[in-house]
This record gives sequence, C-alpha cells and structure tokens, in this order.
Amino acid sequence: MNMIHNLPWLFLLLPLVVAAIDWVCLNKHPRLAATLSLLSAAGTLGLCIAYLTGLQTGTPDTYTWMPSSLEQLNLHLGLLMDPMAMRMMLVVTGIGLLVHFFSIGYMKGDSSNLSRYYAGLSIFMFSMSTIVLASNLAMTFIGWEMVGFSSYLLIGHWFDKDSAADAAKKAFITNRVGDFGFLLGILLTLGLFGTMNFADMSGKAAGIAPAVLTVTIICLFCGAVGKSAQFPLHVWLPDAMEGPTPVSALIHAATMVAAGVYMLVRLQVSMGAEAFTETACCIIASVGAITAVLAAIMAVQQDDIKRILAYSTLSQLGYMVMAVGLLAGEAAMFHLYTHAWFKALLFLGAGAIIVCCHHEQDIWKMGGLSKRMPLTVLCFMMGTCALIAIPGFSGFFSKEAILEAALAKYPVFFWVGAGVAALTTFYMLRLCIVAFMGPAREHGAEHAKEAGFTMALPLLVLAVMAIISGYGFIANDLVPANGFHAHGFELGLPFYASMGSLVVGILLAVAIYGLGGRTKDPLAGNCISKALRNRLYIDALYDKVLIGGLQQGFAHLMQFLDSYIIRGILCQGIMWLTVRIGYLCSWIQCGSLRAYTLITGIGLVILVLLLAFQF
Amino acid sequence: MIPLAHYLILSGILFSIGLAGVLIRKNIIVVFMCLEMMLTAANVALVAFSRAQGTAGVPVYDAQVLSLFITGIAAAEVAIGLALIVAMFRARRSVESTALNTLKD
Amino acid sequence: MFESSLCQILFYLLAAIAVLCAVGVVAFRNPVNSAMCMALSFAMVAAIFFGMGAQFLGIVQLIVYAGAILVLFLFVVMMLDIHDEDKSRGSYIHAAIGVLIAGFFAGLTINISLGLPGATSGTCPVVTMCDSFGELLIGDARATSETAVAAAPYGGSLPELSAAAAARMENPSISEADAAAATSIPDVKLLGKCLFTHYNIPFVILSFALLSGTVGAVALARKIRKD
Repeated sequence: MNMIHNLPWLFLLLPLVVAAIDWVCLNKHPRLAATLSLLSAAGTLGLCIAYLTGLQTGTPDTYTWMPSSLEQLNLHLGLLMDPMAMRMMLVVTGIGLLVHFFSIGYMKGDSSNLSRYYAGLSIFMFSMSTIVLASNLAMTFIGWEMVGFSSYLLIGHWFDKDSAADAAKKAFITNRVGDFGFLLGILLTLGLFGTMNFADMSGKAAGIAPAVLTVTIICLFCGAVGKSAQFPLHVWLPDAMEGPTPVSALIHAATMVAAGVYMLVRLQVSMGAEAFTETACCIIASVGAITAVLAAIMAVQQDDIKRILAYSTLSQLGYMVMAVGLLAGEAAMFHLYTHAWFKALLFLGAGAIIVCCHHEQDIWKMGGLSKRMPLTVLCFMMGTCALIAIPGFSGFFSKEAILEAALAKYPVFFWVGAGVAALTTFYMLRLCIVAFMGPAREHGAEHAKEAGFTMALPLLVLAVMAIISGYGFIANDLVPANGFHAHGFELGLPFYASMGSLVVGILLAVAIYGLGGRTKDPLAGNCISKALRNRLYIDALYDKVLIGGLQQGFAHLMQFLDSYIIRGILCQGIMWLTVRIGYLCSWIQCGSLRAYTLITGIGLVILVLLLAFQF
Repeated sequence: MIPLAHYLILSGILFSIGLAGVLIRKNIIVVFMCLEMMLTAANVALVAFSRAQGTAGVPVYDAQVLSLFITGIAAAEVAIGLALIVAMFRARRSVESTALNTLKD
Repeated sequence: MFESSLCQILFYLLAAIAVLCAVGVVAFRNPVNSAMCMALSFAMVAAIFFGMGAQFLGIVQLIVYAGAILVLFLFVVMMLDIHDEDKSRGSYIHAAIGVLIAGFFAGLTINISLGLPGATSGTCPVVTMCDSFGELLIGDARATSETAVAAAPYGGSLPELSAAAAARMENPSISEADAAAATSIPDVKLLGKCLFTHYNIPFVILSFALLSGTVGAVALARKIRKD
C-alpha cells in the first residue's frame, strides 16, 4: 500500500468516526459505545507509541480544504509530525485512555445517556489531536473551537442540572472572548508573516516593527488566556467542575487547558524567540504570575475538593504561562507534561473519593479516608507530593526548571513563584489533612470503600508516572519539546527557595489544621475568608459590570430597537398599512356578480388604454 | 357604395350596446341576449371583411365560414346558458344577477 | 346608379332599425319586449347580410338567431315567470359607468373605422402609388383596377361582386364566354365547398360541441330526483 504515509491521519479519523458512531447509532448501547471509545483511545495511543519508538511512514499528505486564488490564503489541512507534537500526543492519548478506562467505573449506574458521554470524550480526543498535530494556525483554530465545543458538551453532560448548564454556557462564552483575540492574532500573523504554516514562519519576524509584533503576539495570547483560563478570563474553569470528574481530569486539568501553553510554545518554536518582543513577554509573564498568585490565594479557602484542584490547576497554568513569557518554552512544556500526569492523578483520585463517599464533594464532610480507602489515598498523596514539589517527585523538577528560568531573567517572578509554591503546599496539605485524617464527619465518609478495579488501575499507572516522569531518563524522551534535556538535583537559590516554601507551607498547614480532628476551618468566618470564598468578587464584578451593565444596557438598546423600530415600525407598521390598504380595497371584493362585471369592464378599458395607446 | 367603415361602425355600435346591456342589466336572460348581440356584431364585421378582402369580385369564404361557426357556437352556448339559468332559478327563485352575491361568503 | 343608391338607403335604414332595436333590448324592462327587440334587430342584421351578398349567412341568421334562439329565450322567460326588474338604489351610478365603458368602446371602434384611409370619401379605395416624379396618385386613372381591388380592404367602398369571376372560381375550366354569361354568384355552393373541404374537421368538432351542448343542457335543466 502506498497510502501508508497517510497513516497519521488515523489520529484524527479514528476518534471522529467513533464519536459519530457513538452518537448516531449507539444511543441505546452505552456499553458498546464505551468499548468503541476505549478502543479508539487505545488505538491512537498505540499508534503514538509506534511513532515515538521509531516507526517511519513518510510525510502525510496535506489537503487543501478551501482553495483560494491566492496561494497564501489557501486553507490547508496538514499534520506536523515533529517530536514535540508526537510527545504531546503521547500525553493526550495516554491520559485520554486512562480517563476512558476510569470513566467506565465512575459512570457506572449513571442514568444519563452514556453514549453521548463517550461520544463527547471521543470528539474531545479528535479535537485535541487536531490542535496538537495541526500544521498551520487555521487548523489549530479549528481544533481550538472543537475542543471548546466538546468541553461545552461534557461540562453540560448533566444538562438537567441548572448549575451544569450554566457552567457549560459560561465556559463556552468566556472562551469566545479569547477566541476572538486569537482569530485576530491569526489574521495578523497571516498578514505579517504571509503564511499560517508553522513550518514557514521561522526567520520572518526580523523585518517587522516590534510594536506590531507585540500586538500580534498579544492577540494570539488572548486565545491562550481564554483556553488556559488565565487571569481576566479564568472564571470559567472552577465552574467547569460541574462536569463529570473524569472530564475534569482529562479536559480541565491535564490536556485542554494546556492547549494554550502548547500553542504559545509552538509559536515560539516556529516564529523564533525573537518574535516575542520584550513587552509581549512581560505582559504574558505578568498575566501568568497574577493568575498563579490569585488562584493559589483563592484555593486556600475552598471546601469543594474539585474546586481546590481546579484552582490549583489555574495556579499551575499560571506557572506555565509565566515560563512562556520568560522565553523558557522548554520549562513550560516540562511543567505541562509533569502537571498533566499528576493533575490527572489528583482529579481521578478525587473522582474515586467522591464516588466512594456517595457523591460527597465537601472536604469538611469527609475525614478518616486514609483508613478506609488506603490505596486511593496513597495514590492521591503521590499526586500531592508531585504538586507541592517534594524533591524526587516529578513536579519538583519541572517547577525547579521554571524557577531557574525566572531567576535568570526576572527575579521578581522567581519570588512570586516561590511564594505561590508555599501557598500550594499549604492548601494541598489542608485538603489532605482534612479529608484523609481524623475521624469521619459524615455518614458518606464513614461507609467509604476502596474503589473498584477500573478506577484503581488508572490511579496506579498515573501514580507511577507522577513519581518518575520528572527524571531525565524518561523526561528526555517524553517531554513535548524538540530536543529536551532535563537536569537533576542542583543546589542553588532555586532549590533553597523551593525547599523553604515547602517547609513554610507544611509548617503552616500543620500549625493551623493539626493532624486531623478539627471539624471546621479555623480560618473561616472573617472577611478575608469570605472574600476568598467569593472568589475575590471577580465573578460578581463580571456579573455586575459586564452582564448587568454592558450586556443589559446593550440588551435594552436592542430591545428598544426590536420593539419600536423593528416590531413597531417595520412589522406592525407594514402590517397596519397592509390592513388599511386591504380595508380600502375590500369594497372591490363585494361578492356581487354585477360589480365584478363592471370592474372587469373598467379593467378592460384600462387595458386597452395601456396597450393600444401606450399611456 | 357603402364604405367598409360604415359596416364596421354598425358592428361596433351593436357590440357596444351589447356590452352596455351586459354591464347594466340585472336580468340574466337579458344579459344573455346582449351577449348574443355582441356575437352578431362580430358576424357583421366578419361578413363585411369577407366582401372587402375578396379578389376580383368573389368574397373570401373563410370569413363566412368563421361566421357560421360563431353562429353554431352561439346556439350551443344558448342551450347551455339557458339550462344554467333554469338551474339557477331553481336554486334561488330569481334570475337577477343581484342574487348572485355569495362569491364573498 | 338608382340601384346603388337604393342599396345605400336600405343599408342605412336597416342599420338604424337594428341599432334602435338593440337599444330596445337593453332599455325595455320586460324580458319579453327585449326578446322581441332582439329578434327584430337580428332580422335587420340578416337583411344587411343579404345586402352584402351573403345570402346563406343571412338565412342562417334568420333561422338560428331570430328563430331558434329567440324561441328558446321566450320559452325560458315564460317558463320561469319572471317579473320586471326592480329598480334599486345605486343602479343609476352603475348604469352610468356601464354606459361610459360601452361608449368608450363604441367611440374606439368608430374612431378607428373612420380613421381608415378612404373611409369618409366613400368612393375609390386608397391606392398609394407614386409616379416617376414622386407625385402621389390616389384615385387616379393611371391606377389600374387590379391594384384598386387589391387595395380595397382599407376602408373604402366594398368591391362589386363579379358573377363571372365567381363562376370561373367555381369551375376553372369554364370558357370566357360561359363565365361572362353567368348571372348570379353560387353563394351556397362556394361556401359549402369551403366548409366541407378546408374546414371539414372544425365543422365536425363544432357538431360535437352542439351535441355536448344539447346533452349538457338536458343534464343541467332536468329535475334532480331526491332518491
């Protein structure tokens, strides 16, 4: 077969076809749908491993989707198969497969349409693969919108719950704001660089004015702000936790939210670091740092186990974006990669805990879980250790890489990073102490049992990855960056700062929460805690200003236009006029034969006048 | 001799009177008579044309045949029309066209 | 000359009676009077047909219109026991508009007829011929009789009937002398020849129309039995 070079297209086609089959044909057969989706995830993972271990099939064909008379305006569909993309694919398909597997246990007994759920997962796999493998920005954008769409579907999976439906809408609409900027950025890129292909961009940034370049990069960055939930647009991610927990793990922790970082690094690689001007870098790094700090602060006073993890995701994404802004793309990708494993682990662990506690998400209603479900708690603790960067765990290495890069460029970001690390330690230990130690506080936690096989297996695999994925012997081959080289322990300021923040965090947590036994949060009750629980009033501000002010004002204007201009004058006015004319003319339609004859006669006269004399 | 124009004028006047009757009269039978008059007016014009178009003193008989056809059709029309009038009279007890005012209903 | 002017006087007299009777059809309020006027009017028209040399058509006009159709009308009028029309309000305006429309068409036809070249002269048909100097020769001796006949349809006098030409048309092999000896035009013969050769199929179709008319009339007018 000489079509073998087109084998990589299976990465996209397999999940897409499976999603279509699930959705259209298998509505009544959720088990079959689950099996198909699982097989497609396994198939893409196998294909990915085959390519990473040296399978060569040549360059896949590029298809022209929308031909244009101008060569540079042609929209191509092509695959970019460099190591960065393939290793990213490993993360996506690997975690995807585990999440599919976990879903089988987690969604057991759920009364909603599970075929729809698995179809959504498969669509997501297709969309994410499209972003990762896209050879040009247009195709990235297609995948970008598709992940937004699949995320919408999955957040709103339990759409009969109002909060889930609202969260889905919020995520989708918030993302649209970022996407608008992203689209502008893509068009600017097309105008400035003359191409949308990543392969053709290198070296073309040199002749462009820095100010214009800055605007372009910031516009592109807007897309990442939306998708990776950075500071002004971060509000959707905590709400997205309304979706099923495996979805949170796959989409809102490990892969999709990392797409923004991946896209920025991809641009950095293909445009060259010189395209990222000083100003643009400063803005990107600042946004990342602000997000990291704000999210970490807000996480301190959350009670919902998934929300704590969501804020920690925000905070870690802030780290990554900060690293991109510091032109440390490799460090960003390293952190993305380790974070994907341990955050997926944390979320899946949280999912297992939630299921075993009979769908209880409040940590203050748990407690004592370490005795009842030791394996799950152990895996969760591995993830926690990686997240709070205990030396030897994967998170330690990647966070160290970011801190080093920050210290080398802007020390202020280094100190921010260190501070956030202390906060991270604090809130994660708070979660662990409250939920796992001491006595059970509620009925659900008392009767918790160990999770089943389908949930335990992914946890174990991810726990192993959370521990070892940071070491050079694995990371050098798997970190999604072209030619990555990890370094081991190095004594220096970053190490000391990291250790210091770790110790501070642990001490604070133990001092405040003890070793279990507390029944309510000693920090709660004051105004700071209230502000933190209310997310620093950012959501409320958006509600007031954007929704209450702008949107309502615009809606009033539109309503005015609609009710007076369109309905009043255009619709009813025309209707009124028509009715009037109808009444005026209605005497003609009197129903009397004589009148009709007369009118016919008049018509005849008019006709003769018109035709014969051409009046 | 009488010019063609005078025959045409006669035809036109007869036709117009017939038209006026159709428009004015209420009695459907009279309306029907007026229709017949309009057809006859057409016959007059046709016969006049038949003479006028003739070559070397022989009329064009095509025109007269056409006129004959009109007469035949008129006869059939009268048969049907009068039957309709009878039917209408049965239904409405009247042959006035003012009785035919239910088209709007 | 006398014969010619008698023809003219007769035509205008008959035409006047025909028009008067036609007005009577519209004006009388009793349908029986209208029917009688119609019969008279049609008879006058038949007479005019005779005057034009269309004897057969004249007879048909008399028999079919003034005879059969009139009888049908009268029969229906009697059968239905119809009273005079009642004069209702607003019918004057209605009548005025109807008269206006009819007047428009009458004026139109009169105007067009009188507009025909030669229509008012009443003498020679129009011949638009120019001599070699460009002078218009109308009614001039130099215009040949053939041209004049060919140009006749324009509105001037109807051409004289020629028995000799008719005889020649009926039988092309006839000798000049025999043709000249012919005294009258075999009107029915020529019409029948035209009808049964050239218009044979339309004639048959017309007979079917008459048949279906008869059947339809019976079907419409019969009493519908309730059972």
